[in-house]
Amino acid sequence: MITDFFEWFGEIGIFSWRVLRAAVTPPFEFRELYRQLDEIGSKSLPLVALAGAAIGAVLAMESFESMTRFGARSLLPSALVYSVVHEIGPIITALVVSGRVGAGIGAELASMKVTEQIDAIEASAVNPYRLLAATRILACILMLPLLTLASDLCGLVMGWVALSMVEPLSFHQFYTSGFRGSDFNDLLPPTFKTAIFGLIIGTIACFQGMRTRGGAEGVGRAATSSVVLSSLFVILTDVVLVKLIIIFFP
Amino acid sequence: MSRASRLGVFIVATLAILVVGIFIIGSRQYLFNSTYQVKAQFSNVSGLDVGGEVRVGGVHSGTVHSIDLPHNASEQVTVVIDLVKSTHEIIKKDSVATIETEGMLGNQYLAISFGSAGSPEVRDGDMLASRQPLEMADLLRKADSLLDGSQQAIQNTTLATAHLNSITDKIDRGEGTVGALVNDKQLYNNLQQTTGSMHETMLHAQAGVTDFQENMEALKHNFLLRGYFKNRGYADSGDVAKNEINILPTDAPLKEFTYQVKQLFDKKDAAKLTNPKFLHDSGEFLTSEQFGLAVIVVSAGSEGDAQKETALSEARAMVVRDYLVEHFGFDDRLLKTLGVGKQAGATAGNDWGAVRVVIYPTGTRMPANKNAPKAITSPVDKPIPSLSAAADEEKIHD
Repeated sequence: MITDFFEWFGEIGIFSWRVLRAAVTPPFEFRELYRQLDEIGSKSLPLVALAGAAIGAVLAMESFESMTRFGARSLLPSALVYSVVHEIGPIITALVVSGRVGAGIGAELASMKVTEQIDAIEASAVNPYRLLAATRILACILMLPLLTLASDLCGLVMGWVALSMVEPLSFHQFYTSGFRGSDFNDLLPPTFKTAIFGLIIGTIACFQGMRTRGGAEGVGRAATSSVVLSSLFVILTDVVLVKLIIIFFP
Repeated sequence: MSRASRLGVFIVATLAILVVGIFIIGSRQYLFNSTYQVKAQFSNVSGLDVGGEVRVGGVHSGTVHSIDLPHNASEQVTVVIDLVKSTHEIIKKDSVATIETEGMLGNQYLAISFGSAGSPEVRDGDMLASRQPLEMADLLRKADSLLDGSQQAIQNTTLATAHLNSITDKIDRGEGTVGALVNDKQLYNNLQQTTGSMHETMLHAQAGVTDFQENMEALKHNFLLRGYFKNRGYADSGDVAKNEINILPTDAPLKEFTYQVKQLFDKKDAAKLTNPKFLHDSGEFLTSEQFGLAVIVVSAGSEGDAQKETALSEARAMVVRDYLVEHFGFDDRLLKTLGVGKQAGATAGNDWGAVRVVIYPTGTRMPANKNAPKAITSPVDKPIPSLSAAADEEKIHD
């Protein structure tokens, strides 16, 4: 059990190294990257936008109650902007993407693995790490910050809608008081930390898919484990990232 | 929608969100406006941050560019401020920078006051005057000393109350003069006895006065003195002013009867009626007609002492009134007298003055009695013009 744990880390290290080496050496698989960008990015947008909007509305309603109780209702837009842009947007996006994309990649690569398609690719002198893994991981890294921005926007707009249903508040007033005192450190580091979430999601999903064994059972196991592990590692990494952002971007 | 366009739309849209976000924050940081820098020094910036808000006249017009700690202990913290160009006309050399707190627990921000009109404009890199921020800790310290002071005051009050307590204790125990007054029954009894005997003395004195009055009355009717009173025309001088009023009412009279004093009275210096039958026409009028008020006005001639003449005319008015009341049946409360003494226009020699019976209709206000206190006299009751001269003269004699 303990050996399995360390073995897993060892294997993912070797896997990552192979993917990195394959990714930085030509030929580059642009067609596959382009297909994955669409698959991971634009096709995830509706889900991410919806999740962000829902969370924004919930947050606005919840904090309206508590802020009113503390007599700090004027700080509500600020609090909403701060929490959505800083943490809620990035983490919700990463979790939704890890659910949708992680399961997709894990199942797809696992079924390729158990039907020996990966062996066939290797036999035709194409590096499967370059073609399958590197493109997916890179697409995750590139798309997650963009999805996060979309999620932030939807969350803030829905937050404003939820607030203005309780008391009249113009959107202009909402964002003027919401962004009062905020600077680039409030927007850029939290948004681009999701690139690291993308790296984690892509790597774990590809790794779990490509190392699976057995038939259809193995495919299911790979899909489940890639979702569970990528979500877990996203949250654990976030702890470290938040601390690093506070230290380096005060 | 093709894959390419879908991906393109997604990427462009999300990058647009990023750009808008950057511009919103950047405009608050004045990264895209032309700015200039000023500096201010504080011994304590009390938590002001780099990037913090700078307000000019309460309007967000800049940001804190940097906060530099001094190199040695004798210097102060320097705050470098980015301000938008549009504030250049407002901020002058004598503007003052302060660090303020938004609400009790809010963010710190830097406030810069307007400069005075005559002061020169600031240049890039100038140092502004500053006022040290009021810190919560300082406030608490002040409140603490205030509380100390009030505690002292409360102690003093307690002390004073204790003193008061001991004083009342002493009074209670009968110590000292006040104590004796409050507690000594003997003293109270003495006082009561004294008051009782004083009251008795007063009763005796009253009885004595009544006796004296009776004696005087008897004396008046004694045959030795009766002549004097008879010649004078009346017995009791105390009755003269009984029905006398101060001034005539201002209302228009209903009827007026005028007689010469010479016709009615036998002597120039007495108030004894000799020909009262002349008064019958006025007496009959009073009996037959409804009236509100009648006044017998008696004036004196121009000779003699003014004070004496006034007293004489008052007495004559009373004698005429007595006669009318005795011989005619009407409500005697409505008949008043008024002695006006020497009249200004009277001719010398044979003129002894005049007796006028002035009758006013019902509804006329009753004038105040001459002996009544002044306060009751209404200010409306002014002397009528024809008599004002007489009233003035009366005043002079008073």
